[in-house]
Amino acid sequence: MERVLETKNLCLGYNKVIYKEITTFADRGEIVAVVGPNGIGKSTLLKSISGIQSFRSGEILIDGKEISSYSHNRLAEKVSFVPSQSPRARNLSLFDMVSSGCYNRTNWLGQVGSNEMEFIYHTLERVGLTDFAGRDSSRLSDGEFQRATIARALVQESKIIFLDEPTAFLDIENKLTITRLLKEIAHEEARCVIFSTHDLQLAIKHCDRIWIMGRDSFSHGNPQDLIEKGAFDTMFKDSPLKFDRNLYTFV
Amino acid sequence: MKVKTGYIREYSVISAALGLLILLNLILGSVIIPPRDIFASLAGLSDLSFVNEILWDFRIPKAITALLAGVALSVCGLQMQTLFKNPLADPFILGISSGAGLGVALFVMGFSAFGISLSGSFALNLGVAASAWVGAFGVTLLILLVSSRLRDNTSLLIFGIMLGSVASALITLLQYFSSSSSLKAFVVWTMGSFSGLTSAQIWIMSMLIVPGLILSVYNIKELNILLQGEAYAKSLGVNLEHTRRRILVATTLLAGSVTAFCGPIGFIGIAVPHIARMFFRNADHKVLIPATALLGAAIMIFTDTVAQLPGQSGVIPINTVSALIGVPIILIIILKSKFI
Repeated sequence: MERVLETKNLCLGYNKVIYKEITTFADRGEIVAVVGPNGIGKSTLLKSISGIQSFRSGEILIDGKEISSYSHNRLAEKVSFVPSQSPRARNLSLFDMVSSGCYNRTNWLGQVGSNEMEFIYHTLERVGLTDFAGRDSSRLSDGEFQRATIARALVQESKIIFLDEPTAFLDIENKLTITRLLKEIAHEEARCVIFSTHDLQLAIKHCDRIWIMGRDSFSHGNPQDLIEKGAFDTMFKDSPLKFDRNLYTFV
Repeated sequence: MKVKTGYIREYSVISAALGLLILLNLILGSVIIPPRDIFASLAGLSDLSFVNEILWDFRIPKAITALLAGVALSVCGLQMQTLFKNPLADPFILGISSGAGLGVALFVMGFSAFGISLSGSFALNLGVAASAWVGAFGVTLLILLVSSRLRDNTSLLIFGIMLGSVASALITLLQYFSSSSSLKAFVVWTMGSFSGLTSAQIWIMSMLIVPGLILSVYNIKELNILLQGEAYAKSLGVNLEHTRRRILVATTLLAGSVTAFCGPIGFIGIAVPHIARMFFRNADHKVLIPATALLGAAIMIFTDTVAQLPGQSGVIPINTVSALIGVPIILIIILKSKFI
């Protein structure tokens, strides 16, 4: 297994620390879910390890090298990020939206080379949006738009893909489609997919590894081990909620 | 490629309309010059000295100024709307016109305070332009200095608007203490005008606007990414601070220069990018930049033509006409808000 991401004693925050001591890792070909209560800092964690936001202390190693040693462009070759709610640009065709992932490989005007075209169409096919290429991306349904943002990240061709709550606001069917798609991407293309979610059942069923941002401790491991250890109960400590080991959810 | 050849028709239609509007602009004025005489004079075959004089000394310089201003303000407005993801952003949203206004107010009213009177001379015109440019550039410089400390483009927008408000307040203060003649000179500047520019001034203006346009074309790639949000742009490896600076410099070169030589001309910079979006239904700046440039030129020359309509009884201030043309367009856009 190739270790693509490692954090050592990572403390999140800017002026004040919002989450302490995250020491964890992720391997190539793995799908990882980040879970934890609202406001605990899941977004901040994802933004910090993808280089969008600065962090307070500790180390982040991307492909074995300190994150700060990468230039803007080099980092984008390793890491892509799908924000939780991407703004929708009117009249921007789906093709133009997805091909923007090639940013670092286009000419000064941002024109996509003919060799990339096939790859972009192939990626659209991969996420099931082939027929929509010429459509106005702002008029896609939420599920379609989310798949478009994933296609955009795939086109970037990075080893690691971070997604901030990719299944929020989606119905059950779309939640499943997206989660399965992410799993396929991780396993078949040997990329590392890391996403935050509130859906424990889906995370436990489909992910190779889970990072739990508990109220006062961070734990990680494969889902079954975490269940055995009772790690999920740290999520809502001091509350009457209890994790049900058979239902994979809190009751 | 996404620069579709399918748009050639749209571009040609607008170019043809632009050609006709320029001709109309040259025909109309205090005296009507028939097209035949215009073509003869343009070909250097006319021996009607008064036609040659009106055309080459007045109407052609004025038309060139209007075209430059139309292109510059529209291209600038488009970039501001994309940068701030705000359909109501215009070239002056960061306080450039207020900065220019403050420069002019200090110049015009400052001189009168020392008892020096400046009347309609070349020195006055050039002095006004220079002080306006210094004012506009000063505002941009201040924004550039703080921009690296601002977290996102919304903070930048608020800072710019506040800066503009301070400049406007200072102008009001200056107006309160100034003589009526210098006040009039200032108010005339704020009305906007394309006439009275010497060929030297037009040269200076184009030397500032052309680099601004080249820089704008160079901004296309990043503008297209900015459409999809700042967080995404950053994750793609776009250097946001760099991009912001490049767009700001282009804005000063474009809007600052037009304001310096023609006064603060409103509504065109905000309305034209929307018209371009409405026509082309494409968010790609590779399509929108040439489209706004052409449409901006056409609408500005039309505005100037309308301003000349009273014929011998005078000229309507440009800003009055641009408001009368621009405001309905903005209202239509708001009512059919699916285009925003």
